[in-house]
Amino acid sequence: MLDDCPIYDCHGHMGPFFGAHLPEADPDSAVRMMDRAGVRILVFCHHAALFAPDIGNRANIDAVRRHPDRFRAYCAINPNYPERIDADLASFELYPDVFVGLKLLASYHHVPITDDRYRPAWEFANERGLPVLSHTWGASPFDGPQHVRQCAERYPNAKIIMGHSCHDAWDKAISLVNSYPNVYYELCAVLDNRGMLEKFVEASGSERMLFGTDYPWFDFHYYIGAVFGADITDEDRRNIFYRNAEKLFGFRTEE
Amino acid sequence: MDAAGITAALVWHAAQFDLSVQDGNDLVTDAVAESDRLMGCWAILPPITGELGIGTGSRGGPFKPQEFFAAMRQHRIAALRAFPEQHRFLFNRAALGAFMDQAAERRIPVLFSVERGTLWPTIYSALREFPNLTCILCDIGTWGQDRHVWPLLETYERVYVETSYLALEAGGIAATVRRFGSDRLLFGTGFPLRYPEASTLALLHADVSEEDKHKIAGGNLHRLIQETRL
Repeated sequence: MLDDCPIYDCHGHMGPFFGAHLPEADPDSAVRMMDRAGVRILVFCHHAALFAPDIGNRANIDAVRRHPDRFRAYCAINPNYPERIDADLASFELYPDVFVGLKLLASYHHVPITDDRYRPAWEFANERGLPVLSHTWGASPFDGPQHVRQCAERYPNAKIIMGHSCHDAWDKAISLVNSYPNVYYELCAVLDNRGMLEKFVEASGSERMLFGTDYPWFDFHYYIGAVFGADITDEDRRNIFYRNAEKLFGFRTEE
Repeated sequence: MDAAGITAALVWHAAQFDLSVQDGNDLVTDAVAESDRLMGCWAILPPITGELGIGTGSRGGPFKPQEFFAAMRQHRIAALRAFPEQHRFLFNRAALGAFMDQAAERRIPVLFSVERGTLWPTIYSALREFPNLTCILCDIGTWGQDRHVWPLLETYERVYVETSYLALEAGGIAATVRRFGSDRLLFGTGFPLRYPEASTLALLHADVSEEDKHKIAGGNLHRLIQETRL
């Protein structure tokens, strides 16, 4: 780890999940792994907040409060429980030390991000210029490139982070970033496709590109190694690892 | 390989999967002949159709595994690959009995690629039929596969895991080593599809001992190849 090149991981999760054994999913394990890899801050959304409304965003608050210097959270928005969204947005304002943006997981919640049920969240983010990390996948009927395009036009002040950069619809992801100044690449599940990072940097530069791993799904070192291995410049790497996150989230680093 | 600090590699060719076993195996043979840092894998089929060529008489006589293995030795082919789903055969005793019995006896590794469509029930079934087979699970998938892999490591002592996707799982290498030791893991990169620096850095910084890292990086594969009797 270089002190003047911290790493901000802008796409993480926390806690167990039905679909896989995640050996390092609790907050303490996450911090231990972050220390080994030189990851200064992990911005995450707890699985419980996304999949268990009876627990909800409380899981995010508890995890951040356990390691307040190392974690920030995205406030989960679950459109299948629209009656809870106002309360979730209220908690965003109640816990400014915890939440730095909103998280949408439409491919799993099976509601398009353009649906009216998301409107309060989008308007909330748009009014405040907040980051919105949305899972995006090329062929998804819920959060594909066409949905991102509509949201980018409707909510020009919201900062739309395309989780997984519209995976597989790479050219459409490029078109979105190049067309809308409020749309960002996020590199989780991009970096295990050799050559894609180079393609994005060549097409769009590296100034709207965020490092993310989906931790505890994927390994910090693996994705850091991919950024090292890509044929890009060290200035690009600094943008990806921390400069862009500093601008978007207000994190601070001494160079 | 030089840029990523990789000394030697066990390789296969996409044409073995995408085109035909015959053409793909020839391409592997040619590539291995050009560099002593490469060892090859030949893809296999049920020998009864005669498509494997080597070991099959010109008039379609009975398959002679010993001739096939001798050709492997001659061409520096160290292991076999099977793609049962893509190549439309069943990896069982009816299709491969004598061939795989001899492969098991000679400790010739057989590689299955999950990313290339081999289903977990196929792998479980293959190992039920050939429990002594030296089997390497490759490209095991982007989501953590411990629930599939660990029962096989527990049940079959000659099952090994290639790490290109295990390294992608947060803490995946260390968790597997804690449970099974480091002798069952074989370093892999997935090159050219994936960045070799990714799995390399993940192994270098895995929460395991230096001795474990050396075994995974190359010691275990070296031992497996030394044990092979072609």
